[in-house]
Amino acid sequence: MSVTDKPTARVEAGPPRLQELEVTKKDLWREYGPWVVTALNLATFFAVWELIARLGWINPLFLPKASDMFAALWEGLTTTAGPGAVISGSIRDHVLWSLRNLAVGMVIACVIGIPFGLLMGANRYVDGLLSPYVWAISSMPRIALVPLLILFLGFSVQMQITVIVLSAVFPIMINAWAGVKTTDKSLLAAAKVFGAKRRQLYTKVVFPYTLPFIIAGIQQGIGRGLVGVIIAEFLGGSRGMGYLLQRSADTFNSPLMYAVLFVIVVVSLSLIQLTRWAEARIAPWRRLEGL
Amino acid sequence: MSKTIVAENVTVGYELYRERQRLTALADITLSIDKGEFVVLVGPSGCGKTTFINAIAGLVKPWSGRILVDGRPVEGPGPDRAMVFQDYALMPWRTVEANVRLPFELQDHGLSKEEVERRVRHYIRLVDLEGFEKSYPYELSGGMKQRVGIARALVSEPDILLADEPFAAVDAMTREAMQAELEKLVAETHQTVVFITHSIDEAITLGDRVVVISYRPGRIKDIVEVDLPRPRFSYDVKALPEYGALREHVWGLVKDEAIRTARGAWT
Ligand SMILES: Nc1ncnc2c1ncn2[C@@H]1O[C@H](COP(=O)(O)OP(=O)(O)OP(=O)(O)O)[C@@H](O)[C@H]1O
Ligand SMILES: [Mg+2]
Repeated sequence: MSVTDKPTARVEAGPPRLQELEVTKKDLWREYGPWVVTALNLATFFAVWELIARLGWINPLFLPKASDMFAALWEGLTTTAGPGAVISGSIRDHVLWSLRNLAVGMVIACVIGIPFGLLMGANRYVDGLLSPYVWAISSMPRIALVPLLILFLGFSVQMQITVIVLSAVFPIMINAWAGVKTTDKSLLAAAKVFGAKRRQLYTKVVFPYTLPFIIAGIQQGIGRGLVGVIIAEFLGGSRGMGYLLQRSADTFNSPLMYAVLFVIVVVSLSLIQLTRWAEARIAPWRRLEGL
Repeated sequence: MSKTIVAENVTVGYELYRERQRLTALADITLSIDKGEFVVLVGPSGCGKTTFINAIAGLVKPWSGRILVDGRPVEGPGPDRAMVFQDYALMPWRTVEANVRLPFELQDHGLSKEEVERRVRHYIRLVDLEGFEKSYPYELSGGMKQRVGIARALVSEPDILLADEPFAAVDAMTREAMQAELEKLVAETHQTVVFITHSIDEAITLGDRVVVISYRPGRIKDIVEVDLPRPRFSYDVKALPEYGALREHVWGLVKDEAIRTARGAWT
């Protein structure tokens, strides 16, 4: 016999529980105010910079005019280098090259880091077997491995990507591991009571619980991976943002160097923002619990 | 009347690996529960009430003794038993609707898709959460979360409902309405209910029997039969002279134990 045949609930017509929000001036300011403040802040920053540079207080080799930097930036982003040109003032190609390597490295880091992290969290034996190596490599400065990698792989793209992977894989792995390890016991109990088999415990509880941890790991991984990109490019090859930085310093082209630094800041901020956005989309509940 | 749940000399506890000790939570519990019976467990905080229903649910294994459900020893959780958790245990990444639907996703209850959706809607309405189907648990109050947990336990219409302080977080008014709703539902479905509460009034208004558990390790101190006519929410049960006497009696039993918790858990 089922109760659902007869509706038993008391349904009273009350006031609607969800009402539309009234948008006031205060709300608009709360929403857009920070943007206005940031814009003014940055405008002031560049204006002061320009002023200091124009007054000639600092050697223009160290501090070019902000306007010169923006000019170099504009030129660098709108032109591409001719074939064979070592340094042409083009930033775009180098940025794309670095980003491509970063993307390849991040994908490899995820493909290795996520499954191994999950497996280590879920299985004591795998954990015991791998964790000494993971902790050893993840706690050492990864840069120390670069000479070894150069020995093995030369100044090649493979070497650069390996540096990126080594930089990014451990935060991803360790975060995935921590997510599995800290999965809320009472959520697991609830899933068991409502009939979850072993596999379902992983797909319906452990994995969704761990997902925001993995995203946080990727976020850290991108940060480390960027360091890896720049360092790998400092050391070898003839392309990428790191190479361009080095090269512009060698040629005393400080507007170009500042323009590249500016691009690096913008790129890293955008990537971090992207993962934040992804986290907010995938794990909205973390926004409040994290506070 | 057939016995649905039989506990024979159940002793159960936890291994505390860090201290290299075992903690006996419940000692030598013997209790049989009839089909369709409403049994309420009361006792001081930490006396092992949650442990006992976890054992019935199959989440913890007794160290000794055994628990039978419908004549078979409990090996693990099963679709015949559902539980309302003291700490709600809602999946934070699931909406209210998806949380309530969970039992159907985890195992096949032999219902059509439409019937599943109908049930989900029905029980969300029953716990008065219409309009919040798409909300996430973090957007709900404590009492609302608890009601989601109740809907999730009821939605599969299990033979046995294990309810761990299901109304603890809802206000007095809603609480009374939900108690009435539960009594009505149980009368219609003939569900067997094991219900934990800290409220003596709730124990007496809902239960056929009230099992008083003593302080750690929990033992059954006494079992009080509640012989008040049903449905109890159709009249003012609290006005009956027997009610007052029962209340005094149960309160006396619980109070001794509550004092022994030494922390003064006067709940
Ligand atoms: N997972 C656990 N590990 C170790 N000890 C536990 C665990 N769960 C409960 N205990 C211990 O078992 C005893 C009984 O706990 P239980 O949760 O069953 O109490 P309870 O009667 O439900 O209390 P409350 O009314 O506060 O919910 C407590 O003393 C507690 O310390
Ligand atoms: Mg409890």
